[in-house]
Amino acid sequence: MKTTFTLNEKPVSWNSEPGQTLLDALRAHGIVSVRNGCDGEGSCGLCAVLMDGKQVNSCQILLPQVEGRNIYTVDYFGKNRSLSIVQRALIDAACVQCGYCTPAVVLALHELLARSPDPSEPEVKDALSGTLCRCTGYEQFFNAARIASKRLRDPSYSEAASEQFRPDLRHVGKDRDKVDAVALARGERAFVEDRVAADACHLFVLGSPHAHAYIKSVDISKAEAMPGVVKVLCKDNCPDLVYTTAGQGFPEPSPHDQRMFPRKARFVGDRVAAVLAETPEQAKAALSAITVEYDVLEPVLSIAQAKAKGAPIVHHGDVSYVVGDPPEGSSVKGDGRDDPILYQFPLHADPHRNLAASVSDGIGDMDKGFAEADVVIERTYVGNRVQCTPMEPHVVYARMDGGRLILHASTQVPWHVRRIVSRAIGVSENKVRVVKERVGGGFGAKQDIVVEDLAGYLAWTTGRDVFYRYNREEEFAASRTRHGMEITVKLGAKKDGTLTAVLMQLDADTGPYGQHCLTVPMNAISKSLPLVLCDNARFEVRSWYTNLSPAGAYQGYGAPKGSFALQTALAELAAELGMDQLDLIEKNRVRSGSRIEILRSLGEGRPGQPVTLGECGLGEMIRRGRVNLEWDKPKPKASADGWKVGRGGVIIQQGSGLPGLDAANAELRLLSDGTLLMLSGGADLGTGLDTVTAKAAAEILGLDMEDVSVVSGDTDTTPFDKGAYASSGTYFSGNAAVKAALDLKAKCISVAAGILGEPESDLAIVPRGIIRGKRGEITLAKLAHLSIQGEGHHELVGFGNFKTEHAAFPYGAHFAQVEVNERSGEVRITRYHAYQDCGTPINPALAMGQIYGGVMKAVGHSLYEELLFDNKGRPLNTNFLDYKIPSVFEVPDDFHVELVPVADEEGPFGGKSVSEISLNGSAPAIAIAIHDAVGVWMREWPFTPERILKAMGKL
Amino acid sequence: MVNEYVRPASLEEALELMEDDGSVASAGGTFLLTGYEVGRGRDMDCMIDVLQLLPSGVTRSGNELSIGSGTTFQALIDSKDAPACLKAAALSMANRNTRNRATVGGNLGANKACASLPPILLALGAKVEFKARASAPLTLDLDKWLAAPEGLVLRVIVPMAPGTLAAAGRASRTACDLATATVGVSYRLENGVIRGLRVALGGFSPHARLFPDLAALFEGTALPPKADIERVAKPLLTAISDHRGSADYKKQRGAVILADAMHAAEALS
Ligand SMILES: Cc1cc2nc3c(=O)[nH]c(=O)nc-3n(C[C@H](O)[C@H](O)[C@H](O)COP(=O)(O)OP(=O)(O)OC[C@H]3O[C@@H](n4cnc5c(N)ncnc54)[C@H](O)[C@@H]3O)c2cc1C
Ligand code: FES
Ligand code: FES
Repeated sequence: MKTTFTLNEKPVSWNSEPGQTLLDALRAHGIVSVRNGCDGEGSCGLCAVLMDGKQVNSCQILLPQVEGRNIYTVDYFGKNRSLSIVQRALIDAACVQCGYCTPAVVLALHELLARSPDPSEPEVKDALSGTLCRCTGYEQFFNAARIASKRLRDPSYSEAASEQFRPDLRHVGKDRDKVDAVALARGERAFVEDRVAADACHLFVLGSPHAHAYIKSVDISKAEAMPGVVKVLCKDNCPDLVYTTAGQGFPEPSPHDQRMFPRKARFVGDRVAAVLAETPEQAKAALSAITVEYDVLEPVLSIAQAKAKGAPIVHHGDVSYVVGDPPEGSSVKGDGRDDPILYQFPLHADPHRNLAASVSDGIGDMDKGFAEADVVIERTYVGNRVQCTPMEPHVVYARMDGGRLILHASTQVPWHVRRIVSRAIGVSENKVRVVKERVGGGFGAKQDIVVEDLAGYLAWTTGRDVFYRYNREEEFAASRTRHGMEITVKLGAKKDGTLTAVLMQLDADTGPYGQHCLTVPMNAISKSLPLVLCDNARFEVRSWYTNLSPAGAYQGYGAPKGSFALQTALAELAAELGMDQLDLIEKNRVRSGSRIEILRSLGEGRPGQPVTLGECGLGEMIRRGRVNLEWDKPKPKASADGWKVGRGGVIIQQGSGLPGLDAANAELRLLSDGTLLMLSGGADLGTGLDTVTAKAAAEILGLDMEDVSVVSGDTDTTPFDKGAYASSGTYFSGNAAVKAALDLKAKCISVAAGILGEPESDLAIVPRGIIRGKRGEITLAKLAHLSIQGEGHHELVGFGNFKTEHAAFPYGAHFAQVEVNERSGEVRITRYHAYQDCGTPINPALAMGQIYGGVMKAVGHSLYEELLFDNKGRPLNTNFLDYKIPSVFEVPDDFHVELVPVADEEGPFGGKSVSEISLNGSAPAIAIAIHDAVGVWMREWPFTPERILKAMGKL
Repeated sequence: MVNEYVRPASLEEALELMEDDGSVASAGGTFLLTGYEVGRGRDMDCMIDVLQLLPSGVTRSGNELSIGSGTTFQALIDSKDAPACLKAAALSMANRNTRNRATVGGNLGANKACASLPPILLALGAKVEFKARASAPLTLDLDKWLAAPEGLVLRVIVPMAPGTLAAAGRASRTACDLATATVGVSYRLENGVIRGLRVALGGFSPHARLFPDLAALFEGTALPPKADIERVAKPLLTAISDHRGSADYKKQRGAVILADAMHAAEALS
């Protein structure tokens, strides 16, 4: 049927099926700025349009319903490549991270300003109430609204988005536009789904309804014969090998235990069959024509069940090792029906006892340590499964070009995708190109090869373009969650609070497959235990297979749970000793010059070394929090009757990449007009990494930001990079860019010295792009021009490779002030202060945005989020109506981030990592604050009102 | 899947079309089309778009408020005539994008257990004017209509008796969550005692309803402390356990929001 309406002030008349949504119609007509984040549930708002001036969700409107209406999309506001006041303000306030939500935010703020040109904070909240953003933590949106509002009256209005650092540098430490922000704010084509050809085929997967079942037979014959069906795959016709989906450096510390289609389904949603068809409807119809016979087994649904004697065995295939022998006493002979497991090297595993990996080590003498203690406490902390929920779910577009497979991927690890996919589908790496598009949020889930293997195989074998996008339910059930963990902490201390022994025993639930099964739980230890100094410290880590949904990487990588356990235990110890909890931290924490012995046992994939810390900013961060939260004064009064106030403060840390294991590379080309092309291997997930590399180039070559363009994360055109994980972006990829820029600078100076006839030592690069000697000067443009001529030297290109043995620790101190309702168990965060050291903040406002966003994710995990399963292992809350991530309403009233930089000697311009650490503070700080308010220790997150009431004995 | 979309010219035509199997009337569509993108929305062969046929807007005449069923939640909040308790209930649908589309009539038509508006409307003693097929518009008490919905609601008529104290409440995990309990109360305070108390709750029966047994407990008494209200109210509630919480917890939250609403209403006096 035909619908006539006005779109962005132009009359349009579109034909559609009566049931087509406005969202689908807009996208089909090339308006890609409207996005689907929740499958039309109405809760994400990313599909928003303005209809007759009001913000509405286009997923809940059929195209015929807009007959005669006036529709605006963000494209109107950025037409002719301009920027509206709101778009500009969002960029200036550093609000564009992954950018997937940005068009919706632009529309919301335009609607707001049209009805309230000088909006109050509650009005801004209300305007953004329908838009979910998982990256930013919402706080900087308030700044953007204020800036836009002021510019309505005074177009020249400007304000600093943050404190500026490093006065000696032109760009570093200053706020500059994020290099991809303009395109993202305009809603231009940027994401995988925006690249898909109209005739691409659609891939849908039949997931197992059972958590644990042998797949006896799959009949695909009917499906194969159905109209539009290109290919049907199942266990019987897929490649017969196992691999890991963990995008880690090779050889991976994760067992190769996953077949493209397993012979045994190990979780609800595990791949049973897949259909590639010309339309989504044809694919879905064919899926329903597939018949499967299962031999249903009892599922393993908890760590306790996994450990139990005689427990069902999640992986019962043959176990083998590429290097090393099986651990003594472990079982290696499978049952003959299950898929094999291949360990690259021993991880102290025994899969037939459901033990995927284990490790234990320590320093000192634990018995002696506990014997010396005046007080010993032992507590167990439980962290349930939480979901990354990137607003853009897992998605890939695979196509053939010139006999090669091209994967347009939304990934954190392009090179690992290339390696793993090429092996999985049986081709060599030169036949595969991975192009990382803009990523609509990754947060760790996109460190795994979740969709690329299957789409790649189908494109390779059929020659057809393959589009594969998880729906939200699949994203919840079959992407990657944070490992569930149970951590027992035993502390011994003297009366004055001095720790005499620290024991952390950790059991993790790695789910059906072993990706990150050792490294995530290990990180819970290695990013929490080294914060305290104690001569006797030990950890024991065991990671268990279960039939719950797959676990994997998630921002913080285990550390948030380790931090929750240890920091809360320290506060419990302080309570036991009658001490102020910050005083106890102060007594035991690492400080400048501390020798951290426990790092001897925490080698992260190689033998560990004790480290003598350089300068440490923790003391200053605690001091600032103590002052600003008026810690030493009586607690403030609650805002209403029935509410109680409590406060908590914790210290946190993370790393900056994996020293000795990972490497990054960059290439910087001088173009013929003197501008630069940065080819960075780094995978920017919306964090601003491309802006870091651009800044490095502009800073070192004396140019402006607009003189540098960045191409990144393309395995054909950019050099190898380990990928964006382990907080390595700024430190590794940023440093590679610095090295490339320094290399180019040295080459430019060398060539210029010849041209100018002056010694290199007399030459310097000065802004803007001039090499100046004592007698003469030459512009980079001229130099480039001369270099590429027939008689020139060669194209001037700088190369940078970064690897290091040096561990750079970012530290932080987080403080929460909460109000707890004694009758309902509700928790309100009235104040949240995050003090963090990220070394030199390369992009200060963007760094703050990472922290706000990290904290809000952790607030969600602490208070609201938990993936729930029924007694058959079926996930219960696989959508945003049931699984609650924070909206703008959950932002703390006083949400404060302060950067307290301590420059790192090897970091780019002194920079360290910033984002992952931000997730480590909320759970313990809030738990401690709840105890301070109502006297109960919350040892299981999320701290739901129901759990709080139960702990208070009210239920 | 919607296979047919019809925009009828009259209410009568709409009601006639609605009699066909698989035909559903749609106002804002925010309930009907939830999850539609992945085939989860309400199954309807034919969508009958009635939005433009429904009266819209809020008017007050004397002690009566009339709300057109096509009025969106946001328009209700923006109206100068709607009382604060009604606006608060509408605002408890925290998502503005949805409020810009969701209608008052659709909220009654969806008739969900934890719907935002029914408890406060029930507490205020609202009536609905509705039209069934081949009949003139009829007026019925809202509680009766909710118990057996019929036809299309045209208007909600809310008495606004002077001296009425009323408040709405809601319990949910986050602001944008679906509620686990909703409440509306209204009463008068005469010489310090409660008179004419009406209590309605959502979340403790298939759809929101009045709880006269609960109201009777406090009729003629001074406003009890919150703890006393909770203590007597909780045992009178029944709930089911699900992923939003256990039955016991939901009852506790229901009792708490009831006590809060009764006290919030008193604060208006
Ligand atoms: C993200 C999101 C959040 C939500 N939050 C809330 C919330 O906080 N509180 C809440 O109560 N609901 C909530 N809902 C549910 C829904 O939005 C509301 O119930 C809304 O009021 C429905 O109105 P509508 O006009 O969109 O109804 P529609 O979807 O058009 O229709 C709903 C039902 O009512 C019938 N109907 C429509 N108009 C009439 C009429 N005039 N007379 C009789 N029947 C009619 C329809 O046939 C249909 O059965 C939410 C929905 C979404 C998507
Ligand atoms: S896709 Fe429309 S609200 Fe999420
Ligand atoms: S910037 Fe909002 S979802 Fe990523």
